Amino acid sequence: MAIRQAAPAVRVRKKKTMEIVAVQVLNSLFYAAVLFLIAAGLSLIFGVMGIINMAHGSFYALGAYVTAWSVAAAAAAIPPAALFIFLPLGAVAVAVIGLAIEPTLIRPFYRRPEEYQLLVTFGLLLVLDDVIRLVWGGTPLTANRLVDFLGLVQIGALPYPVYNLMMIGVGIAAALGLWAFVYRTRFGVLLRATAQDRRMAAALGIDVGRVYALAFGLGCFMAGLGGAIVVPSQAAVLGMGVEVLVVAFVVVVIGGLGSLEGALVGALIVSALRTITIQFWEETELAALYLIAAIVLLIRPTGLFGRKS
Amino acid sequence: MNAPQVPSIGRRAALVAAALVVLVLVPTFASIYQTQLLTYGLTLAIAALGFNLLLGYTGLLSFGHSAYFGGGAYAVALMMRYLGVSSMELFILGGIAFSAALAALFGIVCVRHTRIFFAILTLALSQVLWTLAYKFFWITGGTDGLRVPFSKLTLLGGLVGFPGADAYPRFIAFYYYYVLAAFCVCVALMWLIVHSPFGKTLQAIRDNETRARFLGVRIWRYRWLAFLVSGIFTGLAGSLWVPLNGLTTPDVLYWPQSGKIVFFAVLGGFRNFSGPIFGAVIFNYLEVYAVAVTEYWQITLGVILIALVTFLPAGVVGTAAQLSAWLKRRRGAAA
Amino acid sequence: MDKEHIQQERRGFLKQFGATMGAAGLGAAGLGTAAYVAAPRTANAAVQPKGNIPAKPIKVGHITFLTGAAELLGGPGQRGHVLAMEEINAQGGVLGKRKIETIFADEAAGTDSNVKELRRMKLSENIDLFTGVISSGNTPALGPVAEELKVLTLFNDGCTDFLFDKAVPNPKYTFRVTNIQSADGVTAAIGTATHWPKVRRIASIQPDYSYGRNVFEHFVLALGKLLPGIEVVSESWPKLGSTDFTSHITKILGAKPDVLVVGLWGGDYVAFYKQALRYGLFDRMKVATTLAFGGYPHAIGKDHPEGVLAGVHANYHFLYPSAERWPINKDFVERYHKRWKEYPSFESDGAYTALYLYKHAVEKANQLVGGWPNDEAIIAMLEGAGIDSPAGYLYIRADNHQGYKDAVTGLSKNLPEYEFPVWDPNSIVSIPIRSITAPPNWAKPGHGHNESTAAADWIKKTWPSAKT
Repeated sequence: MAIRQAAPAVRVRKKKTMEIVAVQVLNSLFYAAVLFLIAAGLSLIFGVMGIINMAHGSFYALGAYVTAWSVAAAAAAIPPAALFIFLPLGAVAVAVIGLAIEPTLIRPFYRRPEEYQLLVTFGLLLVLDDVIRLVWGGTPLTANRLVDFLGLVQIGALPYPVYNLMMIGVGIAAALGLWAFVYRTRFGVLLRATAQDRRMAAALGIDVGRVYALAFGLGCFMAGLGGAIVVPSQAAVLGMGVEVLVVAFVVVVIGGLGSLEGALVGALIVSALRTITIQFWEETELAALYLIAAIVLLIRPTGLFGRKS
Repeated sequence: MNAPQVPSIGRRAALVAAALVVLVLVPTFASIYQTQLLTYGLTLAIAALGFNLLLGYTGLLSFGHSAYFGGGAYAVALMMRYLGVSSMELFILGGIAFSAALAALFGIVCVRHTRIFFAILTLALSQVLWTLAYKFFWITGGTDGLRVPFSKLTLLGGLVGFPGADAYPRFIAFYYYYVLAAFCVCVALMWLIVHSPFGKTLQAIRDNETRARFLGVRIWRYRWLAFLVSGIFTGLAGSLWVPLNGLTTPDVLYWPQSGKIVFFAVLGGFRNFSGPIFGAVIFNYLEVYAVAVTEYWQITLGVILIALVTFLPAGVVGTAAQLSAWLKRRRGAAA
Repeated sequence: MDKEHIQQERRGFLKQFGATMGAAGLGAAGLGTAAYVAAPRTANAAVQPKGNIPAKPIKVGHITFLTGAAELLGGPGQRGHVLAMEEINAQGGVLGKRKIETIFADEAAGTDSNVKELRRMKLSENIDLFTGVISSGNTPALGPVAEELKVLTLFNDGCTDFLFDKAVPNPKYTFRVTNIQSADGVTAAIGTATHWPKVRRIASIQPDYSYGRNVFEHFVLALGKLLPGIEVVSESWPKLGSTDFTSHITKILGAKPDVLVVGLWGGDYVAFYKQALRYGLFDRMKVATTLAFGGYPHAIGKDHPEGVLAGVHANYHFLYPSAERWPINKDFVERYHKRWKEYPSFESDGAYTALYLYKHAVEKANQLVGGWPNDEAIIAMLEGAGIDSPAGYLYIRADNHQGYKDAVTGLSKNLPEYEFPVWDPNSIVSIPIRSITAPPNWAKPGHGHNESTAAADWIKKTWPSAKT
């Protein structure tokens, strides 16, 4: 037969032009920006409070849904440029929810073994996923207006959304902002002190409860921001939270639990690895992710930037 | 917190005997449906029992026990598919051998670490296994999974089989006792293990690693052995479970399965020997009825779980023990 | 050969498959299917029930996706089922006496949980009929359970060939109403060859599980027979549930294909087309999908490009057969819209038809045996049954219990009267199902051939190959 098919056997290796490489690098950076926001929040919460927040992906989904919903609701009333306000607003909404959840649900578990914290946030994951469906139903929500408003740039012959470029910028700004916040503000000092030694911090008169609540809120804000900036370029769909949780977890494991630099480097590694495997060895995408995590753990169990327990 | 009073040996033996009598009689008063549901529960209880040797007695939280549960299940399915085996006893041996090999290997890697790092390592390794089952579909059937129909099964060295029509009730009626027997053997074995010098050493390591080390205990080796035994019990549970489900899919290797096993232990109370057993059986009912009762089963299950861990910090069994001790004290005070 | 001649050759070649396009569609399809309309139809006629009918309600179990990304398919299925149930109950129930009561459960709870739930439904709730199931990963798990429990089962999707090829090769209690999965990839291939006969370079993006592999295999196999000299230049296999497709899209752009075949569905497809749109993918190649219009019709926005082959799982779109030609569909769409304030999907039709198929079989069995017929009698009536469904004639084959109806696909277009894209009425391709699926008793995989499906073997052995 004249067909050259037979599953993956024949694959025409086209010359990879520069524009493809450039766009793939940008794709990778955009994905890394989103992953970083989620993973940094996850890592921050762990670093300060010692909690693995299983519901973190659900906060990301919540950010996406709130943003898409409010953009759609307000689109008729206000000019497109003003719709961008809903990106930070979506994140703030999630932070507020986080601030409400921390003292009521999480706080009773600080003095109990970490298994319990894992379980209570797992319960929260189940609840939040269903709440999203209760509120917004099964139909995907979108906020493409934001992408279309900014238009496209040409990279060689290929169009690329300006929005995505901007969000890579937001990712970088968030990383810098977070760094400055943790290392250059008074609250950052309190945060780090509490993370290092909770009892000592309390003895020194730091209001540990307040630090915990704010760390949790900040982590939720980051996750919500991740969801908010992703939704205009994709769509808010049910199940998106669990999907991203696993990847974010790999990022944190590679980078080192509790480390912001680790979250950044981990996000860059994971997204680059993903793009490369998709481009060249499609079959290995998933396996590569977990294998690299396992290898990093074998060599450096605390991750690339983690502290020794 | 006062430690609950330990009942006397005689009382405990009486309790166990009574429980055994009830379990043996279940099929006589319960429907086929309830019997098979309890059969599920008993297989899961074996997994929880194995898991708790690590969590409760060694102080290591594994978040990757799906690897051994799924490993035991896949061992059965692969043996049936590629070796044409039909004997449940051979399946059990194969499942134990496979999960033991897995646990021995993963254990070497994992037990060098503790706490959250141990949990993450076990999780990552189990996920690698999941990817293999998912991706190597020409061997494992991918998401379609591999079928293990009970009609192709023979029990007790080929003496008992379930061919023909209306075989399902017959299968359940028999398989319930088969699983019950395996369950009793496992409980007895685990009881012996945790009360042996080996088990006592594990608890000593759990409670104070430094002191144990000063006493000359080779901690690494003890943890590895506990990991191995734990993996074998969980693998056996997977092997026993798979004929009930009729097939195995990558789901049983995926991380939520590990999460469920953790849940069994915490729900029942991992400080008690019997806590995880009850936790597994209770969770099995909870899940089935949450899915059955409402399409919002996730929220239902989530709320119940949060409420249970919030208000019953010692688990169902632990709280019951505390409650009975408190009642006894009150009665004592009143008298 | 001049261009026009080639074009004509190809049309002639395609005619062997009876594929018809546009306005002529229904007529030709009707001719093609006339042979198997064997049974007299009682669905709409009032026939007096015979014998004593108990008033006890009929208990039905329905498992479908009520949560997760696949709710997009499960939701419409549930609504189709409820509509049929309400209609039948409003007429007093099946045989005028027995009303239908349905218990629903969520398929997203996982395969293992679905197995437990089906057992619970039968053993504890004592259901008379089991319906639903969307995932092709779940029917091969649930089919054998239904057989062992002896519960009459009408799956309304989960259409994998694997179910009746291998998992339940000799079904007694299990039936499936919607078209078999291999027809999906083949239909997309015929749609592609019909609309874009010049494509040669093929790229593919499929969800990484058995459905995606099935679509890819049958699409490439069929298109290879229809068009000469095709080659696969790029494959992408994102995990089911992915939402970031930009790297896949860029890779596909780099391979410069003529056509991209897409098996993504539900939320995955929505996220995919949003991104592909902004990356200019639709300007650079033809796109053939199997399930773009598979979920709620309004889940796809009007930003969806026109001229995309928008698959409906080779089953049903609410605009076809057209209102004037096939009033059954017109009435169904109106009732459905009135009840749910939205338009039906192929899952709505499947679940709706499944319940009417059951009613139809019970009525026929009652005429023969009197009283409430037992399962054996109902099964005998279901085997070889034919009913007039919203999608057209539906025929249940006796040898494999699989439903067959003409396969359809069409090109997307924005019409002013709808809030979402629909099919261009002049682009609809309708294919007699016998032209694209293996005939009764064709050897199953592992019995005389090692193809993945009976259909693949049949296509390889019997389809002529197009010449350049």
